[in-house]
Amino acid sequence: MISSLHRIITISRNTLTEAVRQKVLNVLLIFSLVLVGSSVVVSQLATPGLDSSGLFDAQIKFVKDFGCGAIGLFGFFIALLSTAQLIPQELHNRTIYTILAKPVRRSEFLLGKFFGVVLLLALCVALMSLAFAATLYWQEMRGIQAAEAAYNQTPNWQANPFVVNAYNHDVAQIVQQVRDPQLIEAVILIFAKLVMTTGIALLISTFATSSIFTIVTTFMIYLIGHMESTAREFWLASGAGSSIWQSALVGFISLLIPDMNSFTIVDEILAGNRVPWSHALNLLGYADVYLIVLLGVSVVIFDYREI
Amino acid sequence: MESSAPVATSFAAETVGLTKRYPLTWKRKVLVALDHLDLQVRPGEVFGLIGPNGSGKSTTLKLLLGLIVPSDGEARIFGLPPDSLDARRRVGFLPENPYFYGFLNGDETLRFYGKLCGVAGPKLDQRIEELIDLVGLQNGRERPLRSYSKGMLQRIGLAQALIHDPDLLFLDEPTAGVDPLGSAQIRDLILRLKKMGKTVIFSSHLLEQVQEVADRVAIFSLGKKVLEGSLESLLTENQSTQINIPAELSAEQQQRLLAALAQAGIDGGGGKVRFTRPHLSLEQLYLRTVQAQADLASKNPSRK
Repeated sequence: MISSLHRIITISRNTLTEAVRQKVLNVLLIFSLVLVGSSVVVSQLATPGLDSSGLFDAQIKFVKDFGCGAIGLFGFFIALLSTAQLIPQELHNRTIYTILAKPVRRSEFLLGKFFGVVLLLALCVALMSLAFAATLYWQEMRGIQAAEAAYNQTPNWQANPFVVNAYNHDVAQIVQQVRDPQLIEAVILIFAKLVMTTGIALLISTFATSSIFTIVTTFMIYLIGHMESTAREFWLASGAGSSIWQSALVGFISLLIPDMNSFTIVDEILAGNRVPWSHALNLLGYADVYLIVLLGVSVVIFDYREI
Repeated sequence: MESSAPVATSFAAETVGLTKRYPLTWKRKVLVALDHLDLQVRPGEVFGLIGPNGSGKSTTLKLLLGLIVPSDGEARIFGLPPDSLDARRRVGFLPENPYFYGFLNGDETLRFYGKLCGVAGPKLDQRIEELIDLVGLQNGRERPLRSYSKGMLQRIGLAQALIHDPDLLFLDEPTAGVDPLGSAQIRDLILRLKKMGKTVIFSSHLLEQVQEVADRVAIFSLGKKVLEGSLESLLTENQSTQINIPAELSAEQQQRLLAALAQAGIDGGGGKVRFTRPHLSLEQLYLRTVQAQADLASKNPSRK
């Protein structure tokens, strides 16, 4: 058991090393530039500051939306492209033969590769989150400076305790908006969604004969996973799925394809609505169960694959 | 994949009726990549697999390694199923034209494969030193493999195959695409491994080299083993007799000797005229065997 774990860790580390040395992390540089660029652009639209129009609120929301969206999008491409070429590349380079000729089970090879991509995603999401946090902090500084500048237009305002109180209140509001602990919850959920995408791509790559097939099919499942719940609700509400067979079909599809739409709860967090941790944990539990099934099926298929 | 009880055997590798068929669904045909192979390789033997491309050599190696599943028959490694972890602890493999991980350097490559085999710590460090020395790759320890020459890749491939000190080595075309000097180095390595008591099963197109290192060979054609035996027995022509005439004989003497032989009154000449069996080169034998098999197949195209 322990030696099996060692072999999985060895393969995972090798997969991560490969991605790092092949400059996959350069994508993060582009991410940072896009994030900082967007932040600068939105700041130039108007001077930040607390005013009746809630401009600062809108700016912060934009940066949060953009940041989380970019983490999800960049992460999605890293997960999809990295996983899709895992097995075809090993077959093309014949490195898979050298590994499987050693005392390594096929399941260990596959799990090692999967966890290698998960490690890569964890590293990428962590670094992107750091860049995101830095951008938010920069926005906070600008917001506080703008508020201070606005108050400075009133001469000697520091002497007036009412104005000082108002100033402190405004600053606290800025800090509260920027340093939203729910953002951590959002990033964890985005990561869970990326790991699920990796699991789907891995399953398809165990029987696919090309990376393109894996990429296209995973993308389709990802899209269907987003539309599935809406379609199901519409189907059931319209009464079309009233027969047992139709309901069974709908149930079968929802079992087969993961409900990616449930992760849109991240949008609720970004909209400023409170999403309890219990809800997020339920979602993580769903992702875990789904992932275990995906990995189990992948291992069985890969065990029978001719290489 | 799990280990199972070994079958008592005196062979390092053994196959009985080993067959591999690939269904070609679209063409509604079945490709027989390997047809009922019976083979026994003894411990300490260097065994050469020769044959044209697509004759079943690589398929045999993959089946013996448990990388693919036989359609029929059975393979055993030291009496164990080839896909068991116990069997794999005793074998090393160098695939044809290996690439390995270009982003790792020589040391890292050996460390990676060593860890997969459960070798770790100071034992692994020591083993890496020994193997780097054995394959002569001191200049490649810190270089990424993507910058290696073909010969260097083959040598690091041999080193990774040996990292866990296996008893049996499978080498698929170990000299393919390697220059003559590199090829000679690999030949010497195989001979060193033989001296170390390792069993080596290898495939090659370099017949001269096979002749130099192999104890026994099997010739494959169209998925079948068509000939097997020791080089001595295979390369000895039994249907004729060779007369070796000492070089110091003058042309006149040779003529007189031939004339004498023609009259069938042969004089041993004090042991200077020796009568031996003539030897074919392995290349002659190979071409003759493969051509005969191809002629047979063209007359009877039953192999789909």
